[in-house]
Amino acid sequence: MRVDLYNHVMAVQASRRNFMKGAAALAAGTALSSSFMGRAVAQDNLRAQILQIPGVGKGSPTDADWQKVGELCLGATKANVAQGEFAGVELTFMGLNNQNLHNFLFRGFLKPWEAYTGAKINWIDLAQADYNARLQQSIATGTVDFDITEMGAPFEGDTAGKGLLDEMPDWVAEQIDSKDLVGYLQPPVGTWNGKTYRINIDGDTHTFAYRKDYFGDGSISGQPVPTHWEEIAKLPAALAGKSDPLTGAPAYGFLDPLKYQWGGFGFYFLGDRAAAYAKHPDDPAWLFDPDTMKPRVNNPGWVQAIQDVMDLVKANAYPPDQLNADPNTTAFSQFLGGTGAALCWWGDVGSNARTSDTSVVGDVVGFSINPGANKVYNSKTAAWEEKENFAPNLAYLGWGIYVTSRVSGDEKKRKAAWSAAAHLGGKDIALWTAAYPSGFQPYRNSQFNYDEWVAAGYDRAFVEDYLGSNLDSYNHPNGAIEPRIPGIFQYYSIAEDELVKGINGQYASAQETADAIAAAWEKITDQIGRDNQIKLYKASLGM
Amino acid sequence: MAIASNQSAIAPLRRSWGRGLIIAGTLLFILTALAQALNAAGILKLGLTNWRPTLFAFLVFAVAIGAGQVLMRGQAGWRALFILPAGLFTVAMAIFPTLFGLSIAFTDWNLASLTGQKFNGLDNLFQLLRDPFYWNAMVNMVIYVLFVLVEYAIAFALALLLNAEIRARKFWRVVFLIPLMLSPVAVSWMVGKSMLEYRFGPVARFARWIGFQNPSFFTDPWVARIWIEIMDAWVSIPFVMILLLAGLQALPKEITEAAKVDGASPWQRFWQITFPLMLPVSLTAIVLRIIFKLKLADIIITVTSGGPGGATDSVSSFIYREYRDRSNVGYGTMLAMFYLVVIVIFITVLLNVLSKRMRRMT
Repeated sequence: MRVDLYNHVMAVQASRRNFMKGAAALAAGTALSSSFMGRAVAQDNLRAQILQIPGVGKGSPTDADWQKVGELCLGATKANVAQGEFAGVELTFMGLNNQNLHNFLFRGFLKPWEAYTGAKINWIDLAQADYNARLQQSIATGTVDFDITEMGAPFEGDTAGKGLLDEMPDWVAEQIDSKDLVGYLQPPVGTWNGKTYRINIDGDTHTFAYRKDYFGDGSISGQPVPTHWEEIAKLPAALAGKSDPLTGAPAYGFLDPLKYQWGGFGFYFLGDRAAAYAKHPDDPAWLFDPDTMKPRVNNPGWVQAIQDVMDLVKANAYPPDQLNADPNTTAFSQFLGGTGAALCWWGDVGSNARTSDTSVVGDVVGFSINPGANKVYNSKTAAWEEKENFAPNLAYLGWGIYVTSRVSGDEKKRKAAWSAAAHLGGKDIALWTAAYPSGFQPYRNSQFNYDEWVAAGYDRAFVEDYLGSNLDSYNHPNGAIEPRIPGIFQYYSIAEDELVKGINGQYASAQETADAIAAAWEKITDQIGRDNQIKLYKASLGM
Repeated sequence: MAIASNQSAIAPLRRSWGRGLIIAGTLLFILTALAQALNAAGILKLGLTNWRPTLFAFLVFAVAIGAGQVLMRGQAGWRALFILPAGLFTVAMAIFPTLFGLSIAFTDWNLASLTGQKFNGLDNLFQLLRDPFYWNAMVNMVIYVLFVLVEYAIAFALALLLNAEIRARKFWRVVFLIPLMLSPVAVSWMVGKSMLEYRFGPVARFARWIGFQNPSFFTDPWVARIWIEIMDAWVSIPFVMILLLAGLQALPKEITEAAKVDGASPWQRFWQITFPLMLPVSLTAIVLRIIFKLKLADIIITVTSGGPGGATDSVSSFIYREYRDRSNVGYGTMLAMFYLVVIVIFITVLLNVLSKRMRRMT
């Protein structure tokens, strides 16, 4: 769970009565469970037990709590590893230190594992901003100096594609119950050429966050919650001359981060619009042609998405400073501050809406999957199809734990590395990381058992709305999945530059803007190596 | 004479030892570097995984050359030891990296590429010449550099003020220096991202209060450029001001006092006496400020990322995106090297023109 979500939960934590209800439910559950024998019940007990560490609303967890959780979740490790089996083994783990989470948690979780197995772990902590550069340089200069790494799936192309990762043994897949992963994290994600390399610990997707006071009967627009981009395009007309009910400032519709330039991450926000028009349900590819790597970013579907944004810019539908609004500003300054009716973003907006001091929209925010479109472009037939299409943008694929090929030649070390990784990716530990500040979002179906959340003291309405939109996106049959090819953020980064030029009127049309992006992408493909990119792109899509 | 006699007093054998030491150190260094290069190219299989042997060979070479100087030249050699470490350090830390960078600039090297570094001749240069993003940033740099003259005028005015007999002069001097002590990134957040924020920023609120309907500071290209310049100027003007203030304090007071006695007005005293006398300091301050200005990146990266539509991009902020976001090491290095050459030529020409002009005036 992200810190802000946890803070939110504490903020809306119930009243004493609700707390007692939760406690009573838990007590009832515990009492009930004591009357049954068997592993499933023991497992339920364990899950309820770890959810009480330190207890929802009882302050942020500490290292002692992480160690306790790690200790309680050691069962799966003990089933596969004998005590002291890894004595003398030293492993190096490279991960992040964002918000004093990530590696900080891993240290705590793995301390009991180290004590039990006898292995020792050395840590490389990196700030998020330094991470990508460090990883890329290690790969490019052949100086991979870590055995286990926390890594985003988009980098699988750079690592697995170059043979730098170790294949996951079968016993690990069994230990972590990989069948429990949500739909979009199932293979081919995490695999290359049919081999699995990733232990998931996180999930990511963009969802649609909207203001309830802007939509529905008696709202300022008088329109229902938009579910298609075509309806969003009509919002400015419905809001013209209206004032925001909370701030009294002029009311605006959907917020696109028109600055876009955000190290490649800004391109996801055009992707939110484009997925609905360009991600055809019968075709897993939507950014490139998988046979030629010819960009699809200038096909009519993508051009429609760019055109929609340009039309809104032309109609002065955005707040006056929108051309300098990056995604961060759009979400945390504008939307949470009471500007705009809706936006697409990752999970943090929902939780911040209720907890951030600067948020004024906490009581009026709602969630759904990203809007769809009433037509979709089919790249295979090169024609529009007039049919409703939804394609949630599964922007970024969350963090995973990977074992590098440094350990491949030493079976004992290899088993130790995978055991440590499997401990972090375990099913029960995942429930705890989803429920408490950890930096991670839910990524398993078992994490969406709302009864467990409610029993632990969470507010059902919030959990169902907020997490429900995530679950629906994760398991959507037409999710737009990240292509895990080398240099993917290079493509996104140059696209941001060209897109911004187009939006600022430096290209004559949306088509010309899209063509400029496509031309830049072609150059990158040629530079990185077209044949290999084709191979890896297909592999990443499971083709 | 003393050196000559000292050198003639050195035994030929000792001199031979010195020469031998230098030759041995040099050979060791060259051969190690060559062997490593062949190893890196895959021609020799030495099993070396890093370049440390060459580094160690360079250190041995450095010691050998120092010891050799002493053995060969006696006291003159000892004197050379004062400069040799600095010279070798410069070679290792400035000249070699520049040459190494130059070698990268002529390669196609994208960190994501499986094939690694590939020599591609002048391709990067041709790409640069056709790259509209780069030339857009170059044009912006010309504009930013021209703003230095405005900064200079303001800094001169402030320096004159702080040089005058005003109350609490020392206090004001410290106050005016404070912006210089702030990190440009901090200024970018405090001013660019907070004070100038459209919704809640105090400057925006004030602008609305005085009647501006949509006080947005970074959406119009020229307005955005000017605000970037204002933030950069705010941080940097104190630097120019302090140089000019030092110059003003060093001016002989007798000349202005004599002019005053002769009936010269304050404007005449400034324009006919102070300003010409301050020209050497002024030119130094302007040239230094231009050099700093040519490196402008931090404020732009933080506040606008070069936007809107490249309107505020500097060459450095563009290179940053090319290098960091796109891992395009070969092309990014070529952009930087080309910019270095442009800067060297520009500053050389500027200094020549200014020194000629100065000579004519004095």
